[in-house]
Formats: sequence, C-alpha cells, structure tokens
Amino acid sequence: MLRHTAKHLAQAILVLLGVVVLIFCLLQSIPGDPIQAMVGDMPVPPALRAALEERFGLNEPFFSRLYRYLANVLQGDLGYSMNYRRPVFDILAERFPRTLLLAGTGYSLGIVIGIAIGIHSAITPHRGVDQAWSSLVLIGYAMPTFWVGQLLVMLFAIQLGWLPTQGMGPMISRATGFDWVLERATYLALPVATYTILEATRVARFMRASVAETLEQGYIVTARQKGLSRREIIMGHVVRNSILPVITVMGYSFGTAMGGAVLLETVFSYPGVGSLMVESVRARDTQAIVGVVILIACSVVVMNIVVDLLYAWLDPRIRVSSSQG
Amino acid sequence: MSSLGARHSGGASFVWHTEDRAAGVARPQRRLSGVTTSASLDLLRRLFRTRFGGIGLVILVAISILSIFAPWFASSGPMELGAESMQPPSWAHPLGTDSLGRDVRSVILYAGRSSLLIGFSAAAMAFLIGGTIGALAGYFRGAVAVVLLRVTDLFHTLPAIIIVLFSVALVGSSFWLLVAAVALAIWPIEARLVYGQFIALSEREFVLAARAAGLSTSHIIFLEILPNALPTVTVQVSLDASAAILIEAGLGFLGLSDPTEPSWGEMLNRGQQFLELAWWMSVFPGMAICIAVLGFNLFADGLTEMFNPRASAKAPKLQS
Repeated sequence: MLRHTAKHLAQAILVLLGVVVLIFCLLQSIPGDPIQAMVGDMPVPPALRAALEERFGLNEPFFSRLYRYLANVLQGDLGYSMNYRRPVFDILAERFPRTLLLAGTGYSLGIVIGIAIGIHSAITPHRGVDQAWSSLVLIGYAMPTFWVGQLLVMLFAIQLGWLPTQGMGPMISRATGFDWVLERATYLALPVATYTILEATRVARFMRASVAETLEQGYIVTARQKGLSRREIIMGHVVRNSILPVITVMGYSFGTAMGGAVLLETVFSYPGVGSLMVESVRARDTQAIVGVVILIACSVVVMNIVVDLLYAWLDPRIRVSSSQG
Repeated sequence: MSSLGARHSGGASFVWHTEDRAAGVARPQRRLSGVTTSASLDLLRRLFRTRFGGIGLVILVAISILSIFAPWFASSGPMELGAESMQPPSWAHPLGTDSLGRDVRSVILYAGRSSLLIGFSAAAMAFLIGGTIGALAGYFRGAVAVVLLRVTDLFHTLPAIIIVLFSVALVGSSFWLLVAAVALAIWPIEARLVYGQFIALSEREFVLAARAAGLSTSHIIFLEILPNALPTVTVQVSLDASAAILIEAGLGFLGLSDPTEPSWGEMLNRGQQFLELAWWMSVFPGMAICIAVLGFNLFADGLTEMFNPRASAKAPKLQS
C-alpha cells in the first residue's frame, strides 16, 4: 500500500510540473511585448526597457527563465495581481475555501444521490420507473450548468421568494452562532443544489450502466441460487462492485465541478476562485489567471490521488498487482 | 479469418473487407469510405431501429435546417431592433422580445448558426488533433506513446472551460480562435479513444497480414486500422460536438465569445440581468442549447447501440 501511494504521489508531482511548464510555454508563445503590456499605452524609454528586462530576467535564455519561474511557483510566489493590487497567492488563499465549500458540498451530495438514482434505475422491476429516471438524466445531462442555476433562481428566489438570489451572505448581519450558519445556508442552497443536480445526472448515467453490467455477472446468479434475499444481493454484491468504475471517473469529474465553478459563481455572484478567473480574464490580469489554473490543476491532481487510494482500498487486487509491479 | 474488421458491426453492411485488400486479392473498386449508397440507407434504417438514434438524428437535421434557413422562419433579422423591448410572448412575438427590442425567436434561429458551426468544427478539429496523436501513440508504442500520452494527460488534468478561458485570455475570441480553443480543450478524450482502438486493432490478423504484405505505414494506419476504428470514433465526435456547444454557451454567457456573432450563450448573458423582469429572455435560448445538445447525445447513443448492440442491450432485471 505504501509503495502504491508513493508511486502515485510521484506521478502526481510530475503531472503538476508538466502543467506549470505547459502554462509557461503557452505564455511565452503569445505574441506581444511583455514590457509594453506592463507600461501600458505609452512609449517605453530604452533605459526603462533595459532595467525591466534586467529585473525580470527577460533577456535570459529560455531554460533559465523556466527555472526561475518554476522556483517561484514552488515557493508559492504566483505573482502579483494588477487588478486586485494584491499577491495572487493571498487572493487564492482567501477565495479557494469558499469554492471548495460550494463545489465540494454539491459534488459529494451529487455523487451520493447519483449513485442512488443509478442503482434504483437499474434494479427497479418497473420499466416505466427506469425510463423516467433515464429521461430525466438525459435531459439533465444536456442542460448547461449556468442555465440550471438561472432556472432555480427564477423559480425559488424570484417566483417563490424563498431564497436569496446571489452572494454568500447578507451585507449586514447580526446573527451569531447557529443563526449565522442558517443564514449562510440559505445563500448556499441554490448554488449547491445546482451542483448537486449536475453531478447527480453524470454519476447516475454511469452508475446505471455499471449496475446493469454487474447484474449479468456469474456471482450474482450464484448469490441468488444460494437463496440470498434481494436486499442482501444488492447491498452485499451489486453496490460494492458497481461503484468501482464510478470511482475511477470521480477525479476527472471533480475537475469538471471545479470548472463549473467558473460559470456558477458568476450566476450567483459568489466570490470564489471561479469568479476570480472570470474577472481576471475580463481585466486581462494574466498573473491571476495563471494562479487559478495552477490551483485548479493542483486540486484535480490531489483528488486523483484520493481516488486512486480509495480505489486500491476498495479493490485489493489493484494494490497487490501494483506493489508487485 | 472470419468477419475481420467487423468487431463493431451488427450486420454485414459495415464490414470493410480490409483483409482482401491487405492480401492483394480482389481489390474492390470503392470510394475510400467503402460505403455505397444502399449501404448508407441501410445504416440509416438501423439507426432508426435503435431506441434514441432516430430521435437524435431528427433533432439534429431539424435544428440545422431551422438555423441554415433562418430567414425563412424568422420574423426579423438578428440585429433588427424594431419591436418594443421586453415584451412577453405574444402572437406577434411567440417567444417575446429582448431588452434591445429584438424578436427572441428570430435571434435564437440566427444564433443557432454560430452555435452549431462551433459544435461541428470544434469536434472535427478535436478529432484531427486527438486522432493523429492517438493514432501515432497507438501505432508506434514505446517512447513515442509515453510522451504523447503524458502530454494528453496534462491537457486532460485541466477542466475544458478553464483551458478555453485561458486561451481566450491569451489570444482573444474571434470566431475561429474560439473554435480552436474549444478543440484544444476537448481533444484529449479523442486521443485516448483512438489510442485504445489502435492498440486493440493493430494486433488483429488483417493488420498483421498487411504488414506481412509489406504495405506502407501510412497505408496501414489510414486504410486498414482507421476505418475499423471509425464507428467508435464517430460516437465520440458526436459527443464532442455537444460538449463544444455547451462550452461555447458558457463562454457566451460570460460575455467572452465572439461579440460580432449572436449566440445562444450570449443571449443568456443578456438575460441574466433581467431574470426578474423577462424570464423568456433566459428560458428559451437555454432550451435551444438543451435541445441541440440532447440531439447530439441521443445520436451518439443510437450509434453506440447500432455498432455495439450487446453493450446497450437491456440487462436482465433482478426480481425479488
């Protein structure tokens, strides 16, 4: 198990390094004069140009600039946001927990609900129920993330007036303790619900197929002939074996959830890293954009490690073959 | 050698007879695709026999016709500001008018052009990039494959919308740059898939025969392996098109797509400010996106079922 973990950690670090190098190469390949961009719409005096080139090492060879850049990133120096007038790292440190709260809650709820729908859809003896679930999932799968958010806002915030439309809390709040939590929860309800719906449809589609395949396996027939009850077969054999393939795609779908943050945080004016990305793209704040990209890459890679470990823990065959190899 | 190359076909019409060509026997005079008119009619018939394939194809054809011939179905041009602004749906304007006084139905029809064009061209471009990389990795294996697959993994680590936003921030968002950005975001899945197909197919007898017959590498890649990988790849291209439409919609919603072309996402961007006053500005363009994406997904589902009937056959129900 230890060896398995170490191997995956090493791979993850390589992937992250690769992403940073890739970003650096992309930044280098864009047309335009970085010094002109720094100064703005003004002629650049040669002396200033020379000084800036010297200071940022712009006239050094490619690999020495790459090395400098990697060293900075590794030390947590992600540059300075011209738009917010703050170091990028500080902005990310402030905003990432908010995104994690939103996307993480919706993602986890969505997985649980999606697995439940997938199982129910595959094992229900009523064909109509299965078809109803499948149709709902197909439609949910086709809806744009942000549009679902808009629909929920129109229904629950505007028509029914139950929940606030946007933000992550009231401007002025006197609530304390449990009331404070409750107050925040009303603001989080709609965005979390949107995440949940989208993640649930993705997982349900996958889970249904996986359960349907498991049901065809020989050991299910054996279990039935042994006289196990339907409940025992489903809980003891079907669920555990069908969840494995779903877990493998969880890492990637976490990335999709993080990407969804870009759109959903804009719909709900939620101050997380997603809306930071959008604001930075609008303001052409490259340092902040790169910061968000690196952060999201990190979170996806970390999630992939978690998924790998979870998989190895659930399926002993993986860790055995991996330690031998 | 029984029915080689027919791995994904349910019937005889999709057998590509590559083994004959490889062995140099009876080289049939056919077009490159190997599908004659009657064979494509037969494919169509089989697609309509699947659960969703027919519906998907009908949706796709319908929305293509509606947007290509938009002037016939629209009451005004996409940029005409004639009507009173923000009118709810009525006989004159079945889907209402927007904040600028445009007929929402007309804008949706015209906007379909750019949304569908982005869908098709980004999917095609993703297939070119991903297909080439996957084919090279799958055919040459070894160090080439390791390098190419690692690069694919790097792109696959980042969510598609993040890649698109990043490239839009760097190079701007004119129409074809946008297409390229979307393709850049979705090709890794295509590459993985083609790689898998090449690994599976290049061990098959007809490929070995082609090698033994001394045919060139490009002949083996393009005329032996690729045609047999096509069924699986076509499904993915259709899914890619739906992903591309969703990504473009997201970008338009953020106000970052090509500002000179009306698009469904851009309509939703405008609607966001008026959620309280004019629900029709958001509901109908969203539905248009939903229907187009559904069309591509159902079409892909139908193709999967047609090429690989076993996988999508209904599993036996577990009765208590």
